[in-house]
Amino acid sequence: MRNVSSIAGGLAFFLLMVSAPAVAHHGFSVEFDKDNPLTITGTVTKMEFMNPHIYFYLDVKGKDGKVVNWAFEGGPPNVIYRQGWRKDTLKPGDVVTVKGFRAKDGTHLAACSAVKLPDGREISAGSGGVSQNAYGSAISTDGKK
Amino acid sequence: MKKTFRVANVCAAFLFLILPFAMACGSRAASGSSQAATPPDLNGVWSAPFTPDISKALGHQPPFTAYGASRFAKEDEIDDPLTKCLPIGPARGIQAGLMPFQIVQTPSVFTILFENQHTFRIIHTDGRAHPKDLDPTWFGDSVGRWDGDTLVVDTVGLDDRTWLDTAGHEHSDQLHLVERFLKADNNTIKWTVTFEDPKYFTESWSITLPITRQNTEIMSYSCEENEKDRAHLRRAKK
Repeated sequence: MRNVSSIAGGLAFFLLMVSAPAVAHHGFSVEFDKDNPLTITGTVTKMEFMNPHIYFYLDVKGKDGKVVNWAFEGGPPNVIYRQGWRKDTLKPGDVVTVKGFRAKDGTHLAACSAVKLPDGREISAGSGGVSQNAYGSAISTDGKK
Repeated sequence: MKKTFRVANVCAAFLFLILPFAMACGSRAASGSSQAATPPDLNGVWSAPFTPDISKALGHQPPFTAYGASRFAKEDEIDDPLTKCLPIGPARGIQAGLMPFQIVQTPSVFTILFENQHTFRIIHTDGRAHPKDLDPTWFGDSVGRWDGDTLVVDTVGLDDRTWLDTAGHEHSDQLHLVERFLKADNNTIKWTVTFEDPKYFTESWSITLPITRQNTEIMSYSCEENEKDRAHLRRAKK
């Protein structure tokens, strides 16, 4: 049974996917609410590894038993590709847990900040400071000189 | 016949004695001019840190005119031209963080190829001046010259549709950019950009960011191929 649930303390390994480490197609606050976080577990139904932002969709079964399909937006594919993502990192049928922030317009849409994969895989991808990307080059993403 | 033979001898003497000397003089002159300093090689894939708010790089808000301050107070991120998949502009394209750019450098032209929406800058380094009567364009007109090891780039003719950053710092078509690209070491370019715009700022101001070499290649980018945000955007300010 898939429930909308809070993260237990033991789920330590997350695949971090930050929506704005690079110049953004849009500002975060015009679409998403940083004061309205959510955590959802569901089954991947579709993955769109395309510009300007990747999208993936989860079937989420609520406590009432009804299944709702949620959309999650991530960073540009180029950016997360360099952080280790590939177009098949999420596949339909995968059960994942997503942490994110709800869309301001109240639809079943959220910005994704972290994904725990079925195998518990973790890829280091910082939202600030210096991060080592999949190619091994150090990139400062926090705008500091 | 004898006269012809004598002329031929003189010609041969010229060819075998004088001409090589003349050629040696010529090549010495040529090598003298080619001993002028070779500019540093800035070819490669690079990126500067993502700078969503340019006032953070400056340390304070830029010196706004009253008009500039009133525009900045009203501006809302929903109006960002990038959100409409419009071009990023010459300076903002460089500070794009994890979307790199490629520099392709020749003696007469210095090109910057942005991964962001596959846009580019052409900087003429053949000594030409800006054309007169420029119509404003997204990336303006750029001319560059080498000052020792520093490429100094002058850009005018920018229309007012680009933003300087994500936070909404705008400019007018009077914007005049002066950039200095100094190769600090094989993996770093020190990039200083000076913004002058009498409609928006009371005086010119500058920021310096490190451009660092990236171990990657330019990837595909189509802003419109799966654009789904615009239907969900809400004005952040009143």
